[in-house]
Amino acid sequence: MLKSPDWHLLIVWYFFLGGIAGGAYFTAAIADNFGGPRDKSVIRIGYVLALLLIGLCGILLILDLGTPSRFMNMMRHFKFWDPMSIGAWMLGVFGLFAFVSSALSLVGGEGVAPVRRVVSLVGTIAGFFIAAYTGVLLSATALPLWREARLMGALFLASGASTGMAAISLLLYLAGESAGEGFKKIKRADRYAIMFEILVLAAFVFLLGSAAGPLVTGQLAPLFWGGLVAVGLVLPLLVDLTGLKVPGAIPAALVLVGGFILRYVIVMANA
Amino acid sequence: MARTLAMFTDTSLCIGCRACQVACKQWNELPSEQPEWTGSYQNHATFTDKTYRLVRFMEKPQPNGELAWLLMSDVCKHCAQAGCLDACPTGAIYRTEFGTVNINQDVCNGCRYCVSSCPFGVVSFNHDTGRANKCTFCNDRIHNGLGPACAKTCPTDSIQFGFRDELVPKAQKRVAALKELGYKDAQLYGADSNGPLGGLNAFFLLLDRPATYQLPEKPLLPQRNVKVDSLLAVGSALLVGVGALVAFRERGGATKDGGNA
Repeated sequence: MLKSPDWHLLIVWYFFLGGIAGGAYFTAAIADNFGGPRDKSVIRIGYVLALLLIGLCGILLILDLGTPSRFMNMMRHFKFWDPMSIGAWMLGVFGLFAFVSSALSLVGGEGVAPVRRVVSLVGTIAGFFIAAYTGVLLSATALPLWREARLMGALFLASGASTGMAAISLLLYLAGESAGEGFKKIKRADRYAIMFEILVLAAFVFLLGSAAGPLVTGQLAPLFWGGLVAVGLVLPLLVDLTGLKVPGAIPAALVLVGGFILRYVIVMANA
Repeated sequence: MARTLAMFTDTSLCIGCRACQVACKQWNELPSEQPEWTGSYQNHATFTDKTYRLVRFMEKPQPNGELAWLLMSDVCKHCAQAGCLDACPTGAIYRTEFGTVNINQDVCNGCRYCVSSCPFGVVSFNHDTGRANKCTFCNDRIHNGLGPACAKTCPTDSIQFGFRDELVPKAQKRVAALKELGYKDAQLYGADSNGPLGGLNAFFLLLDRPATYQLPEKPLLPQRNVKVDSLLAVGSALLVGVGALVAFRERGGATKDGGNA
């Protein structure tokens, strides 16, 4: 008889916001390195959003421990094969990259741009890691569904990308920059990410087979099919592909809702 | 490392008296818990942060229509390849020089990753201390030349304590004897150090299939897929990265500034 770790909403929020942080960062870093001057807002918003969210993530994780000071116990040990241990360390490493990239995108002007690009290109690895490792962390447990999910890390990464890009586009929209070229590009990037996420999710469910029961037919099924698949992925993609005239904030918000529901149904499947 | 210690629980000798459960509570100063109706004499349903030894009462229908008990005093298996130990990010869970697995309460920070990483559902979270608990193999006793309290108290020698390399042959002889007596499903669980999880340092003699005792037929190390899962995530990262690159790339170089990578 297996036991649940009793991870609840704090962990769901962490998985969700950590995905956005990682996704926003590597998106900004790719835009920084391969885009042009018109992507300046995307870059700045991506770096700063990643920094703020990863700080919040640290707080969520520390709160979940009950006794905050015990977080330091994670720092007395390093296990490179253990997703939880390496994740705790990488949270700090990623935070450092997000801080340096944010600082260099806000001050120093074009003079520091070459340095910022090199820093953020290396930091991209940390961003990918933060978005993906929480999935691998779950798939390395003994609990049903999680332990069968070979694509959990891949799926969380894809979701981190789509939600990170959605968050950037939402903030661009709110900043009144929805007419710019940067907004168009982040929308296009998010379109690819959503398409990819749908493919990974399909493969994820297919590979799980009967182990996917709690998600696809159980109590969580309405949230999974309605909230994640329909509202969180297919609907925003359709709006985008059909060129339907809706405020740019709406599809982005839907993607974010879907990203939250993805973490929610997966964590709650073993809560 | 010292010679590996083990506990051998011979379920064919268990009479369900629960003296082990009580002795464990007394020695480890574990408080009592509210009893719960489990549908049989068994209490509690699972291991808890206050119950490290648990006598399971399995009711098995007999050919004559009556029910017969299969009894089993269950405990942490002290796996040679322990999922909880591999999961622990603080190093609080460690292997002693005797091969047993223990949780250093001062170091545990309550992340609960070990709880989800035990293939047997042994490790439990203690909400009072905010830390994980499980059988310690009476760590204090074995470091002072004594066997675990449960083994010491067992009135039928269903729980035996000793060196692993002595207990395993003994257990094998017992299986052979039981088979001769007609217990055709008698088998050892966790005795084989080349078997699942590298063998269990608390191993069992069962009179039926492991599933009958709510044990996994073939327990697996949760961490066995970390490499594959990580590689798949890296593949995902590459594809996502290419997508973002295609979306953001400035074509023709007209608007490119000098410092691009």
